[in-house]
Amino acid sequence: MASTLPPSRPELVCPAGTPAALKSAVDAGADCVYVGFRDETNARNFPGLNFNRKELAEGIAYAHDKGAKVLVAINTFPRAGQPELWHQAVADAARLKADAAILADIGLIDHAARHHPELRLHLSVQAAASNPEAIAFYAERFGVKRVVLPRVLTVQEISAINARIAPVETEVFVFGGLCVMAEGRCALSSYVTGQSPNMNGVCSPAGEVRYTETAQGVTSELSGFTINKFAANEPAGYPTLCKGRFIARDKASYLFEEPTSLNTLAILPDLIKAGVTAFKIEGRQRGRAYVAAVVQAFRAGVDAVMAGRPLPEIDLDRITEGGKQTTGAYEKAWR
Amino acid sequence: MDSMRCQLRKAASMIPGHVQSSVRPAPPPFSPVLLLGLALQPLRPQMLQPLFDAMLRMIRARHPDILERMADYADKPVCIDPTDLPFVILLDPHPEHPALLVRRQIENGEAAAVIHGSLETLVALAEGKVDGDALFFSRRLVIEGDTEVVVALRNAVDGAGIDLIDDISAQLGPLGTAFRRLAGTAAGLAGRLRDDFETLRASLIAPAVKDVDAQGARINALEAEIRQLRKAQRRGGAA
Amino acid sequence: MTSITLGPLLFNWKPDAFRDFYFRMADAEAIDIVHVGEVVCSKRTPFLDPVIPEVIERLQASGKQVVASSLALIMNDREAAQARDLAESGLLVEANDISVAAMMAGRSFVAGPLLNIYNEGTLATLEAMGAVRVCLPAELAADAIGQLAAKAKMGIEVQAFGRLPLAISARCYAARARGLSKDGCQYVCADDPDGMAVETLDEVPFLAVNGTQTMSYHHMSLLGEVGDLVRRGVSSIRLWPHVTDMAQVAGLFRAVLDGRLAPAEAEDRLAALVPGAEFANGYIHGRPGHQYVEMEL
Repeated sequence: MASTLPPSRPELVCPAGTPAALKSAVDAGADCVYVGFRDETNARNFPGLNFNRKELAEGIAYAHDKGAKVLVAINTFPRAGQPELWHQAVADAARLKADAAILADIGLIDHAARHHPELRLHLSVQAAASNPEAIAFYAERFGVKRVVLPRVLTVQEISAINARIAPVETEVFVFGGLCVMAEGRCALSSYVTGQSPNMNGVCSPAGEVRYTETAQGVTSELSGFTINKFAANEPAGYPTLCKGRFIARDKASYLFEEPTSLNTLAILPDLIKAGVTAFKIEGRQRGRAYVAAVVQAFRAGVDAVMAGRPLPEIDLDRITEGGKQTTGAYEKAWR
Repeated sequence: MDSMRCQLRKAASMIPGHVQSSVRPAPPPFSPVLLLGLALQPLRPQMLQPLFDAMLRMIRARHPDILERMADYADKPVCIDPTDLPFVILLDPHPEHPALLVRRQIENGEAAAVIHGSLETLVALAEGKVDGDALFFSRRLVIEGDTEVVVALRNAVDGAGIDLIDDISAQLGPLGTAFRRLAGTAAGLAGRLRDDFETLRASLIAPAVKDVDAQGARINALEAEIRQLRKAQRRGGAA
Repeated sequence: MTSITLGPLLFNWKPDAFRDFYFRMADAEAIDIVHVGEVVCSKRTPFLDPVIPEVIERLQASGKQVVASSLALIMNDREAAQARDLAESGLLVEANDISVAAMMAGRSFVAGPLLNIYNEGTLATLEAMGAVRVCLPAELAADAIGQLAAKAKMGIEVQAFGRLPLAISARCYAARARGLSKDGCQYVCADDPDGMAVETLDEVPFLAVNGTQTMSYHHMSLLGEVGDLVRRGVSSIRLWPHVTDMAQVAGLFRAVLDGRLAPAEAEDRLAALVPGAEFANGYIHGRPGHQYVEMEL
C-alpha cells in the first residue's frame, strides 16, 4: 500500500437530471452533483431531461451557496466533422464555472486541456480506463485529475490501482443501474436500435420501447426484438437490452444480467479502505424521489463509516430495478 | 418512428375487479378514491373541466418549464388514466395551445400514449414523491403506446418540483391557508381509510390471486412444452 | 491498392486448429496483413503462446505483414505485463486498450477497432502518438468514415466481414450460460468456435457470445459497400476469421475490389461459404447494425 494514513472522507457525487433533482441532491447531503446539457453531448440524453445554460447557471449558484460542487458530464464522443456542439458544451461549462467537466473522448479532452486550462477535468466511465497505464495516459498527457473507474473491477483491483496512480483520484459507482459490459465499449444498443451511448448518449432508447399486454402478462420489446416477458404479477423491468431474458443453448435465462441495481452500502468500508476519493450514484434519469432517498442513505452510510459507527440498515429495495440488488463486479464471484 | 395511437373507453362499470382494457391494471378493488369515483359516476366529465382549466393555468404560470421540456413532443398528446376514477385526462403539450381535457373516453388515435395508475399513485408521481421507475417496475404504473413521450412527460413533471397542495393554495391567494389546512386533514383521513381498505381488500381477493397464479404456472409449463416441440422441428440455424 | 487485413482470431480455437488456420492463411494470396494474438480473454493465452512464434514465422516467410493484437480489456498486473511484453516484442502492435497505445507512444502502432475513435480530434492525437493505421469502430456510418479518411494521414481500415465485436465485459457469458463462473470456466467458450448464438424468447436470432465478448448474431458483409468506401478514402478492409475457408472469403473481396466480380454475385458465393449465416450491413448505412440494406444492382 502506498500510504498508511487513515483514508479521507470520500465525496458523495450525486445525479441530477433536472434543477429540482439538483436541489434534492444538495439538500440531502451531496458533496457534488453531476449534470448534463439537454442535448447529445452527455450519456443521459433522455427525453425531457437535463439542463439548459440558464438552469445550469442557477444550479451552480444553488450548489455553491450550500457548499456543494457541480460537475458537468460531456461524455459522448463528438461526431466526425461536427465537434462544435461538444466544444461549445465544454466552453459553457468553463464559462459558468462548473467545478469540473467529465469527459470521455480523447480528442475532446485534448481540446479542453488546450483551450480551457482552468477547467478541472475528470475522465468519464465511458472512457473505460481500467488500469494504471491508461489512467497515467490521461493524467500525464491532458492533466486529468480524477478517473471514474469502469464497473468491471473488483475492490482488490481498485485498491491496487489507487496505490499506483496517486495523486490522480478515483471515483467509483456505489449505487444504481449497472452496466454489465465495460462502459463506453458497448455497441449493443446501436446494433439493435441505431442509437448508442457513445454516439447518441442513450442506451435502449425509450422511443424504441414497446410494452404489449398478453393473456400471460407483459412483453417488453426494443426495436421489435423481445427483450423480456413478465407474468401478470411479476415485477416488470425497462427493456435495457443486456438485462433481458434470452435463449442460449436451448435455455432461456438472464444471460448477461438480471434486472438489478448496484448497491454497495454493505461494502462501503472496503471501498473507503481501497482509497477511493469519490462515490458516485447513478441515475440522472430517475427523478427527485430516487435522488433524495439514495443520497440520504449514502450520506448516512459514509458518515457512519468515517465516525467509526456501524453501518446503518437502510432498505433501498423499493427503488431498485426489479427489487433486486447486487454488489456487481466489486466481488469476484460476479464474473 | 410512427407511434402507436391509443384508444380508451371508460366503461360505465367501475365495479371492483372488472378490467376494462386488456392493458390497464385492475383498479384497486376497494379504495377511498374508488368510492369517490362511484360518487362521481353520474357526473358528466365536462362539469370538471373548469377545474382542469385552472390547473393548466397554474402549470403555465408556476411551472412553464414543463411545457418547455415537452417541446419536442408538441404533437403527442398523452392520456392520463386514473384507474379508480370514471374519467381520463388528455394532456396536449403543444406549447402554443396546450390543453388539459377531462373526458369519459378518448378516440382511437387521439393520444400517443396512455398512463394508467391509481389517482394516489399519479399524484405522488406528479409531486416527485415516488420514483417513476420503481412504480413501473412494481407494475403500479402501466404505460401504453409511445414510451418516449411518457418518459419525457415524467422527466418534465419531476423536474418542475410540483407540490399540488402548495401550487393550488398559491392560486387561491388568501384562501390558500385554509385550503392547506383542509388538505392536510383530508390527506390524513384518506391515509387511514386506505389502510382499512387494504386489510379488507387483501382478505377479499387473496383466494382469487392464488388461483390466477396457479393458472399462470400451468400456462408457462404448456408454453415450455410447445417451445421444445418447435425447437425439435426447427432446422439447424447459423452457428 | 486497398489492403485486405485478416483480423485476429477472436474465438477460442484449440492450438492445433489455430496453427493450421494461420498456416493456411500464409498461403492465401488475397490477404496482405495478418493479425495474431488473443484479444478477448487473458485466460486463453497460455495455450496459444507455444504455437504463436511458429505461426508468425510462417506468415512472415510468406510475405505477410504480421501485427500482434493486444487484449481489449486490461484489468490487472498480469494482463498489463502481457501487454508490455507485446509492446517490447519488436512486432507491429495493434492496441485494443488505450493503455497499449500509451505503451507504444513514440513508436509505430495500429489503433484497433475496440478503441473509441469517432472523430478527427481523437484521430489526430493517436496519429501524433505514432498510429500508422486505424481500424474504425463498427458503429460508424460511411459519412463519418469518409470525414475521418479525408483528414487522416494514416491508413483507415473498416470491418467488412464476420460477426462484429460489439461489447467486452469482465463477466464470461459462455461460462454463465452453463452455470459456471469465470474463474471455474473450464474453457467452455471453445465449444463455440464461431460464437454461441443468442436468441430472443421468440427464438429470433439476436446476438452471439464469445466468452466475455458479445458479438453480432449477423455476419457483417460489406461486399456491396467496399467500392464506395475505397472511394471515400478507406485504405484497407478487415475480415474477421470464422470457421470457413477464409482464403476464399478474402478472394471474393479482392475480386470485388479489383472489379472482377459483381458484388451481388460475390455475396451469393459468400453465402455458400458460410451456410446458415445471415448478413447485415446496417451500420455503414447509418441504420441499426443488424439491418441489411439491399445492394443497388
